[in-house]
Amino acid sequence: MEEQVGIAWHRLVNRLAARRHPAAAIELASVSRDAALLYRALGGDHGVALQAGAQTRHGARRSWLERLAGSERKADLAWMDGQALRLPPVIDVYPEAGLNRDLYFWLAALCAVDPRPDLPWLTRNQAAALAVTAAFPGLAAGYRRLAAAEIARRPQLSKLPPDEARQEQAIRAALTDPGSVAALPAARLPPHPVLLWLRPEQSAAARAHAAAAPEAAAQAASALQSDKKRRIAEHAEMPERKGGLMLFRPESIFSWTEYAKIEHETQENEDQDLARAADDLDVIAIAQDKKSVAKKLRMSLDLAEAQGDSSPLDGDGMLPEWDYRTQLLKPDQCRINAVPLGDALPCALPLHLARDRQRLRRQFAALQPLRQRLKAQPEGSEIDIDPYIRHVAQRSGAESGFYTDQRQRERDLACLLLADLSLSTEAWVGEGRRVIDVIRDSLFLFSEALSVTRDRFALYGFSSRQRSDVRFHTLKAFDEPYGDVARGRINGIGPAYYTRMGAAIRHATEILGRQKARERLLLLLTDGKPNDADHYEGRYGIEDTRKALIAARQRGLRPFCVTVDQEAHEYLPHIFGKSSFIIIRKPSELPARLPLLYALLTR
Amino acid sequence: MTVTSIARALRVPKLIPPYTATGDEIAVFELAHRNRLPVLIKGPTGCGKTRFVEHMAARLGLPLYTVSCHDDLSAADLVGRHLIDASGTYWTDGPLTQAVRHGGICYLDEVVEARKDTTVVLHALSDDRRILPIDRTGEILEAPPEFMLVVSYNPGYQHLLKGLKPSTRQRFVSLAFGFPEAASEAEIVATESGIDPATAKRLVTLANALRSTADHDLEEAPGTRLIVDAAKLIAGGCDPQVACRAAIVECLSDEPEISRALMVVVAAIFGH
Repeated sequence: MEEQVGIAWHRLVNRLAARRHPAAAIELASVSRDAALLYRALGGDHGVALQAGAQTRHGARRSWLERLAGSERKADLAWMDGQALRLPPVIDVYPEAGLNRDLYFWLAALCAVDPRPDLPWLTRNQAAALAVTAAFPGLAAGYRRLAAAEIARRPQLSKLPPDEARQEQAIRAALTDPGSVAALPAARLPPHPVLLWLRPEQSAAARAHAAAAPEAAAQAASALQSDKKRRIAEHAEMPERKGGLMLFRPESIFSWTEYAKIEHETQENEDQDLARAADDLDVIAIAQDKKSVAKKLRMSLDLAEAQGDSSPLDGDGMLPEWDYRTQLLKPDQCRINAVPLGDALPCALPLHLARDRQRLRRQFAALQPLRQRLKAQPEGSEIDIDPYIRHVAQRSGAESGFYTDQRQRERDLACLLLADLSLSTEAWVGEGRRVIDVIRDSLFLFSEALSVTRDRFALYGFSSRQRSDVRFHTLKAFDEPYGDVARGRINGIGPAYYTRMGAAIRHATEILGRQKARERLLLLLTDGKPNDADHYEGRYGIEDTRKALIAARQRGLRPFCVTVDQEAHEYLPHIFGKSSFIIIRKPSELPARLPLLYALLTR
Repeated sequence: MTVTSIARALRVPKLIPPYTATGDEIAVFELAHRNRLPVLIKGPTGCGKTRFVEHMAARLGLPLYTVSCHDDLSAADLVGRHLIDASGTYWTDGPLTQAVRHGGICYLDEVVEARKDTTVVLHALSDDRRILPIDRTGEILEAPPEFMLVVSYNPGYQHLLKGLKPSTRQRFVSLAFGFPEAASEAEIVATESGIDPATAKRLVTLANALRSTADHDLEEAPGTRLIVDAAKLIAGGCDPQVACRAAIVECLSDEPEISRALMVVVAAIFGH
C-alpha cells in the first residue's frame, strides 16, 4: 500500500514538475536520416554517425516542484565527439511538434557549421548560430521561432536571485541576437541549460582522460580503472547535494519512497557506468586473450610439428601434395575435413551493407542475360537492310546474310569463391576492422551481386591444422539457394589455424570441376602466403599451391586470386601467373571491389 | 535511324552562346585548335561541357557537329552509309565525315557510351595522320586545318564495363571541368534564368550543400543545369520550395526518404 501511494505520488509530482509535451514529441529515429543528410549537406564530415546522446547533468537551479520530483537534473543537449554527432533521443520540450522537429535540424546544422569550437560555450554557440543563420535563410526563420519558444520555456527572471537573473538576461540576449553578448556574468549556479546550443565543453580533467584513452591497451585499462573511480567519487558526492530532500525523510513516507527512488537511480547509473567500463574492459580482455591464444596455438602446434613425416594417411577425402624437393606428387598426404558451421543461425544482410547492395544490384542488372540482336545472319526473323544496301551498292555479291535474328545470349558461368579463414585474418587493417570482417563483407556483397546475374556460384572457406586436418567449410554449395541460411553461415565465419592452400585448391577444383559450364572461375580470397604448422611453409607451400593451380587450369578452370597482402607481388606472380591476381591496397575497399572485379573477369 | 536525326549541324551562329570561364580552358582550347590537337573534356553532368564547346565553336567561327553518343551508336552512324532511292543506292556522309569534309568541330558527347568500334574510327583522326578512311566507299579523307575533334565524358557516371581505353585517352588534350566557384556560378544562374542575384546566390548555396552529400546520399551531384532550371521556374513565379522539388530534388533521387531529407535541406535555405 505504502509503495503504491509512493508510486502514485511520484507520478503526480513528476507530471506536475515536468514541463514537457508528450503529444508533440519527436523521436530521433523518425528524423535521423533527414538530420544526418542535412548535417552532411551543411559541410559535416561524411564519416560521422548520428546517434542518440546521453543526458547531461547541468547543475542549474531547479524549481521547487522539480526538486520535489527529483527530475530535471539532467538535460538533453547536443554535442559532437570524434565518432558521432549526438542528438537527444526524444525532443518534447516545446508545445508544437514542428518546433521540436526544427530543433533537431537546428542542432544538426549547428554541429555541421560550428566555426569556432575553440571559443568558450557562450561565444562559441553565438558564433555558430550567427554562421548558420547568415548562410541558410530558411534555418534563420526557424531559429527565430525556436529562440522565442526557448525563452518562453526558460525560468522566469523574477523568480531568480539577482546574480542568476543577470546571467539569464545575458543568455536571453544572446539567443535573441546572437553575437551581441561577449561574456557571461558570474553567478553562484550555472545557467539553466540552453537546448538550442551545443553542450558546454567537458572539464579539462575529463578531456585529458578522453585524450589518454586511445593509447596502448594496458594504459587504456588503467585509464578505465581511474575513470571508474572518478565516477564513483562523483556519485559519492551526490547525497550531500540532495541534503534538502533528505530532510523530508523522517516526516513523510512519501518522501522516503522518493528518497529511495533517488538512491535507486543513482545505483542504476553507477551500475550502468560500471557496466560500460566493464564492457570496455571486456573488449580489451578478449583481445588480449585471443592474442595469447594465437601465440599459444602457434607454439603448441610448432612443437607438435612432425619433421619430415610424409607417411600416407588413410580414410576418405585424401588429397595429394607436391614435394618440390623430390619433384613428386605424393599421394594421400592431406585429409579434407568438412567442418559444418553448425551453430550458424539464419540472418539477414547486415544493415551497413544495404546501400552497397543496392548499388551493386543496379550495376549487375546490366550483366543479366539479354536478348541480343544478331545482324547479317544467313537466316532470321526480319530483313537486315544494311547488308542488302551494301550488296546493291557494291554489286560484288560479297554480302550473304540479309536477316536479323534475336537470340538469348546466355551467360554460362560457374564461380567458386574460396575464402582463407586462417588465424592471420584476425589482424587489424585499420578503421577498427579485421581482415576477417572485410572478407565477411566481401562474401556478402559478392553473393548479393551474383544472385542478380543468375550465375551459378558457391562459397567455401578453409583453414588447416597440419595435413591431417584441412578444414573445409561450406558456406553455400552450388545447388543451394542464396538466402538467410547461407547468410547466417557467412555471418558465422571466424578465423582459425593456418593456410594449407594447395589442398584447399585441389578440393575446390574437385567441386568446381563437376559443374558443367562454359566458363568456370575459381576465385581465391586471401591475406597471405600458404603456410601450415609443419613443413608446409615457404617454398614448399608456394610450389604445392602452384602445382594445384596448374592442375586446376588443366581441368579447364580459371583461377584468380584476390589478396590484401601488400607483399604478395613477391610470390603471387609465381603461383598464379602475372595477370591472374590482384592486390587490394586498401582492404576496406575489398567488399566494394570484389563484385566489380568479378564483372570484369566474366564479361 | 537517319543520320540527320543524330547530327545537329550548327552553321556559325550570329550570337556567341554565353560562357563564363572558370580557368584557362578557353586559351587551351584555342591553342589546341591552332595546333590541330583533339580535345577531351571530362566533368560531371551539367557542368557546362556542351555549352563550352558551343561557345568555342562560335568564338572560332566554325560549324559544330554535335553527336550525342548512346550505346547503339556504331561507326556507320558517324561515318555514313548507303541509302536507297528510286534510282538505286547513294552514299550519305555521317556527321564525322561532314565535319572532316567541310572543316569544323565534331563534338562527340558522352563518347564512352558509344559502341567500341566507334573509337577505332577516331584513332586515325586523333593522331598526326588526321585521316578518315571510309572503307565502304574506298575514300580516304584528309582533315583540313579547320577540322577539330572534341569528345567528352563523365568520369563519375561510367558504365560498369565501359571506360575510355588509355590508348584512346592519350591521343587527346584533356580538360577537366568541375563546378564553378559559388560567386561565378550564381552569376551564371542569374544571367541564364533572369532571376534576381540574391535568389541565384541562395540556389547556388543549395547546390553546394547537396553536392557535399554526393557519394554518400546521392549518386551524382546536381549540375549547374538543374540549378538554372529551378531558377527559371522561380523566375516564372513558382514558389522556391516547389521549384526546387520539381527541378532539383526529384531529379536527383527516386527514393522517397532521400527526397524528403533533401527537402529538409531545401527548407533550410528557402524556408520561411
